[in-house]
Amino acid sequence: MQTDLSSIHRPIAQANGLPNAHYTDEAVFAEERDAVLHATWAGLAVCADVPENGDAKPMEFLGLPLLLIRDKDGDVRVFQNTCRHRGMILVSEPRKIGGAIRCPYHSWCYSTKGKLVATPHVGGPGQNAHPDMDRDTMGLIEIRSHIWRDVVFINISGQAAPFEEVHADLIARWAEFDKPLYHGGADSTFQLSVRTNYKLAVENYCESYHLPWVHPGLNSYSRLEDHYNIDESGKYSGQGTLVYRQFEGENGACFPDFDGLSDKWLQGAAEYITVYPNVLLGAQRDHAFAIILEPTAVNHTVEHIHLYYAAPHISDEMRAKNTALWKEVFEEDVFVVEGMQKGRYGPGFDGGRFSPAMDGPTHCYHAWVADRILEHRQKQAYAAE
Amino acid sequence: MLRNDLDAQLLEAHAAKDRPALIRLYQVAAAQANGEVAAGFYLTHAYVFALEHGDPFAEALHARLIAMGRDV
Repeated sequence: MQTDLSSIHRPIAQANGLPNAHYTDEAVFAEERDAVLHATWAGLAVCADVPENGDAKPMEFLGLPLLLIRDKDGDVRVFQNTCRHRGMILVSEPRKIGGAIRCPYHSWCYSTKGKLVATPHVGGPGQNAHPDMDRDTMGLIEIRSHIWRDVVFINISGQAAPFEEVHADLIARWAEFDKPLYHGGADSTFQLSVRTNYKLAVENYCESYHLPWVHPGLNSYSRLEDHYNIDESGKYSGQGTLVYRQFEGENGACFPDFDGLSDKWLQGAAEYITVYPNVLLGAQRDHAFAIILEPTAVNHTVEHIHLYYAAPHISDEMRAKNTALWKEVFEEDVFVVEGMQKGRYGPGFDGGRFSPAMDGPTHCYHAWVADRILEHRQKQAYAAE
Repeated sequence: MLRNDLDAQLLEAHAAKDRPALIRLYQVAAAQANGEVAAGFYLTHAYVFALEHGDPFAEALHARLIAMGRDV
């Protein structure tokens, strides 16, 4: 079944959103997996997940078994977590690799850089080489990856343009924040398991329209009129505020600012942008966050939230309090994204309409997703000819 | 070390995932082996566990296996 995406590309005032099937149908989800999540730069994890050299963490992305690892030189890499011999899963729980990754089945060994370094008994008992077993051609399959703002982005198809090229405008927009980010540690990360398609979490994050209704606590210091839309067609979208209020601890203590910020940020601007297709980022003068949306099913998403600071040592108490504040905000959004998911099982829903004034960032995202799918369909049709 | 003792210690080291013990015991087994094939077999195990553990002695074990024509 091919969905009709034509109404998405109408001007915002007349456009509809993506059809229900993009949120509810397994076959459409499979198409979107190939067209969107595999073909572009999707967020997988953060480097802080593997803080020390040799740390390895098995992960799954849309059923694909992956291994996130910080190699012996400190570079973060992503491999298929699959032995080149008989396809066994190599690492089944997070752990430190002291020397080599040893397959638990026949003990083929790989370096932390993916090179096949030992093939015990491959030529018979005690004979560890064979003329037809060329180790140089049987290293781990590496997934193309790129690190930005500590997020590990992966391009599974291997065909996307370089990350720096695709996201050049966004990288330039936030160039002032190109400073070391210090993950707050175990108390600065949490997960939310949400019964929703990952796109609904993006859509909700992109717009400020819902803030006064869903987050009434924000009204006291960050009114709707203080926000602005960010909708860069074909690139990224989100929202900004002109009155970011710094977190204050006991006696008015604040987190340190990122170095060298201009007045724009120091006087109160903050921005919340989606790196399409599935990473939600926040940039503020004194701390930042990254949310990786893990699409676990067409109607289920795990949100992995990570908070970052401008300095390595932050008061434990302030950090914990800040995490609690953000958790409350993100939890306030859960009923919305789960409700929109449920609403999409109603066959009469036509993708909905967009407020021409308020929903530009969401429309921008829908148009980008639709473009990726149409591009994919074109390639499929061309390949079939 | 008696063969039975060695086998028991090897099983214990495997159960405990005690890599340093495995590296040491498989070298003992190699030294006691009857013939080069068996020695190569046990040395291979010592080498693999040394490699996995990041033991610097892995290099020397590898060199021995190469010298025996059992690795490249």
